[in-house]
Amino acid sequence: MSLVDRRSVQNFDWVFLLLVAVLVIMGLVNLMSAAAAGVEGGTSNVVRRHVMVMGAAALVMGVCAFVDYRHVERFAPIIFVFSLFLLGLTLVVGVVTRGAQAWLFEGGSFQPSEFAKVALVIMLARYFHRNPPSTIQRLRQLVPPFLIVALPIGLILLQRDLGVALLTLLVALTYLPLLHIPMRAWSAIAGLAAAGLAALWTFGLRSYQQQRILDFLDPARDPLSSGYQAIQSRIAVGSGGFLGAGWQEGTQTQLRFLPTQHTDFVFSVLAEEWGFVGSTLVLAFFIALLLWGLWIAQSSKDGFGAMLAVGLVGTLFWPATINIAMVLGLAPVIGVPLPLFSYGGSALMSAAIALGLLLNVSMRRYVF
Amino acid sequence: MIGRGLSEDRLSSAEEAPSELRVGLIAIIMLIAFTIFVVRLFQLQIVEGADLASRSERNSIRSLRLEAPRGDIVDREGRVIATTRPAYRVRVIPSEIRSPERAYSVLGWLLDRDQVELASLVGEPRGRRRFQPVALETDLAYLKRAQVESHRYALPGVVTDMTPRRHYVEGKRAAHLVGSIGEIGAAELGREDFPSYRAGDVVGKSGIEASHEAHLRGKVGGRNIVVDVAGQEIEIVNEVQPIPGGRIVLTIDLDLQRAAEEAFLSGDPEVPNHRGALVAIDPRNGEILAMVSQPAYDPNAFAGGIDSSAWSALVSDESKPLRNRAIAGQYPPGSTYKAIVAVAGISEGILDPEKTVFCPGDYRLGRHTYRCWKPGGHGDVNLDQAVLGSCDVYFYQLGVELGVDTIARYAKEFGLGRPTGIEVQSEMSGLVPSREWKERARGERWLKGETVSASIGQGFNLTTPIQLAQAFAILGNGGTIHRPHFIKHLEAWDGTDRHYPERDAPKPTALDSAAIERVRQSLVATVQHPEGTGARARVKDVVVAGKTGTSQVVRLKLIKDLEDDEVPLRFRDHAIFAAFAPADDPEIAVAVVVEHAGKGGGAVAAPMAQKVLARYFEKNPVEPQSELTATAQTLSGTLAQPEAE
Repeated sequence: MSLVDRRSVQNFDWVFLLLVAVLVIMGLVNLMSAAAAGVEGGTSNVVRRHVMVMGAAALVMGVCAFVDYRHVERFAPIIFVFSLFLLGLTLVVGVVTRGAQAWLFEGGSFQPSEFAKVALVIMLARYFHRNPPSTIQRLRQLVPPFLIVALPIGLILLQRDLGVALLTLLVALTYLPLLHIPMRAWSAIAGLAAAGLAALWTFGLRSYQQQRILDFLDPARDPLSSGYQAIQSRIAVGSGGFLGAGWQEGTQTQLRFLPTQHTDFVFSVLAEEWGFVGSTLVLAFFIALLLWGLWIAQSSKDGFGAMLAVGLVGTLFWPATINIAMVLGLAPVIGVPLPLFSYGGSALMSAAIALGLLLNVSMRRYVF
Repeated sequence: MIGRGLSEDRLSSAEEAPSELRVGLIAIIMLIAFTIFVVRLFQLQIVEGADLASRSERNSIRSLRLEAPRGDIVDREGRVIATTRPAYRVRVIPSEIRSPERAYSVLGWLLDRDQVELASLVGEPRGRRRFQPVALETDLAYLKRAQVESHRYALPGVVTDMTPRRHYVEGKRAAHLVGSIGEIGAAELGREDFPSYRAGDVVGKSGIEASHEAHLRGKVGGRNIVVDVAGQEIEIVNEVQPIPGGRIVLTIDLDLQRAAEEAFLSGDPEVPNHRGALVAIDPRNGEILAMVSQPAYDPNAFAGGIDSSAWSALVSDESKPLRNRAIAGQYPPGSTYKAIVAVAGISEGILDPEKTVFCPGDYRLGRHTYRCWKPGGHGDVNLDQAVLGSCDVYFYQLGVELGVDTIARYAKEFGLGRPTGIEVQSEMSGLVPSREWKERARGERWLKGETVSASIGQGFNLTTPIQLAQAFAILGNGGTIHRPHFIKHLEAWDGTDRHYPERDAPKPTALDSAAIERVRQSLVATVQHPEGTGARARVKDVVVAGKTGTSQVVRLKLIKDLEDDEVPLRFRDHAIFAAFAPADDPEIAVAVVVEHAGKGGGAVAAPMAQKVLARYFEKNPVEPQSELTATAQTLSGTLAQPEAE
């Protein structure tokens, strides 16, 4: 029996691939403008490196799409433990950047927390496959998945990377609407969450992190710090207008008035240069991709495939949402990249894995 | 394996009917989030964007970077050495030039430059580079400034502003110490220690400018302004004020620094050029009071970006004006080393200072003969006489008795052979030769004859001027190392937030203070006795202790047939002098090296040290020392040929 079934090739999900391709191209075009600012002639290193990573990511995506995903279920515990090992390794040898210890290897070339998200989803999908969410009606049934989630988040918190920890938690919470939990339990969860947040603010947050949140609530209080980023981002987005300034024509972008514009604030470049029309178009493609992903979950005949697809959609949806909300001034400044748009090898790679697995689940939906 | 897995999967998927999966709820959450985004984009881009646009169709927002002025560097009394002054800059934003021909002809007339040249300087950039201002003038003279300002209305697309520019008030003064600045290099831009820099930024390249870059730099700000068609500022949208760089207060005394530099420039007229270095240290705490390296360069030339021909001229200049000889120049210490050998001799119990040695003018060891500098010799000399007359034979004999390793041990106690640890980079370590060193570095055995030259500071010995000053500071304070430094304290630009750098605790050496005390007496004789080789370093009312040195650059026989002034410059001897004063409780130690002076340290270097010492005691008078005459007399008594002054 070959690894790749002929039927699954026939059922290849071309629509999904097309959506991915459109978003990747939009992302690259936008990144070329964002990274070009201040670079004299030629392509900047950022773009060159990004294209190289894209090549590798395409390969990874292909492998993830064609090797039967049920192998993934078998190896889920190993993958999960390995991701925890990498996170732990970061703690020991990680390179400290911008106050957080999230990078393995010099030069920030590898960020284990990006992969931990996907590994977590794989592990949770396996659990919910064996214990279908519809049968979960009591909170104590949630203890095992809670532990699965707590392990990587705990390790990420130890690295003092609060933004990524929050992101990982949100990814895990994607499964929440699937559970059949009564209203009373929901209020208990909400109460716990509020208490947890209060404790976090007092004990868990470093002063710069508290500052960021205060800056978000009142950007003008200290325009020098992250509030400054928020103001600049809002100005850039606003100056885009209806049609935008045009590619590589945005003054805010090209004068490099935007902070980290090729990574975390890449969406504000898009908004300035392509305006309301362009940004809405990108949002439309994004939501189309995410909904298509949910449809893949819905139409999968296999419990693991369905659960996996839901989680993978979560790994794409949450960073995108947090990032765009931050750029639009709707959320505090958290260093989360926008999938397929931000510069960054690990993020692109983990997105490629997620998209590849989604394709995988999609084309095997008729197999069973 | 896979077949089995398949059947299990089929089973479980049957349990989980797809219809039970509530993905619809997730889809709704996602749709809500993205709808909020679209609404927000509409608010920011259409509602608020239109509001901005309606103020003026042709108004545009321009973003300016507000440079932070670099911090001042001042001397110990607060006198400014390096500061920042405003420079008037004229720039053109290509995308906003309406009629190029007219604009460049007006600009050419105003700036007194060729309009074609200006036009080609700006060119016709495409794409994003149209927004990047091109500088036409970075430091326009005051009168032209007024002209440009009065015609601003006629020049859309031309922006003028004041930018901070580094200014070294006295030009070459303390140039090597203060250092220079320049545009940040491509290699530095990628480095972790230059996180917030971008191409075109100014960064310290040498001296304090480089070593204290982080403190001096300050923090840039920014401003978004609305400009009209003519490029005139209409309103400020928002701005972030720059924070000026911090101030550095040096231990340098500008008066002494001036005296020292003038000593070099107005030295012995018979010496062809005064290259070399001078370092003055406070032996009580290691504070550097003056540091000169000659020839110097004017760091102002770098402040506005040095052009490549001027740069290559500086780099290829054979006199090496960019090099800080005070810390990176390595010279044989010559006879100044005898002070250290004498301390070694007394401490080891080998040397009786009062016992005389006969100097016939040469010294034989095996088949070799080593000459004393004085033809005919010094006759019978004790320690005081040997030091003040700088008798070589006396120290040849002592050195051979001590052995090179013992001498090396003492030299290292005096801080030689390793960097002093001063705050700036590129300090050299000098060299204290020993058997082990030669074995390791050259793979050869130490020859006994080499001990002979080592004992008078020749041969392999190398010291930097700052090491020499430190060694004499240790002789002066009785054997304590205070790490030399020239930063007194750092403070914010407005004088607040004063910060004293951490200092090493004074480190006692293993030196015998009684031995040092005895040698100090000989050093006093060297200066205070009429026949002393260092007599020209005498200062009124102050007892000075010092030692001259003349370090050979090449072997004598190479040049022995030539008259003094026929010797090629690069073969001429270095003149050296090191001293401290007042002898019994020193407040200042000085070391001077004059490269290729062709004359002895007593003739060339001692008078230069004298000028610095005299200036110091003019500013910081000491009680006229009544023992002065007494000391001189006692000394005279011990000497073989007493002579009235």
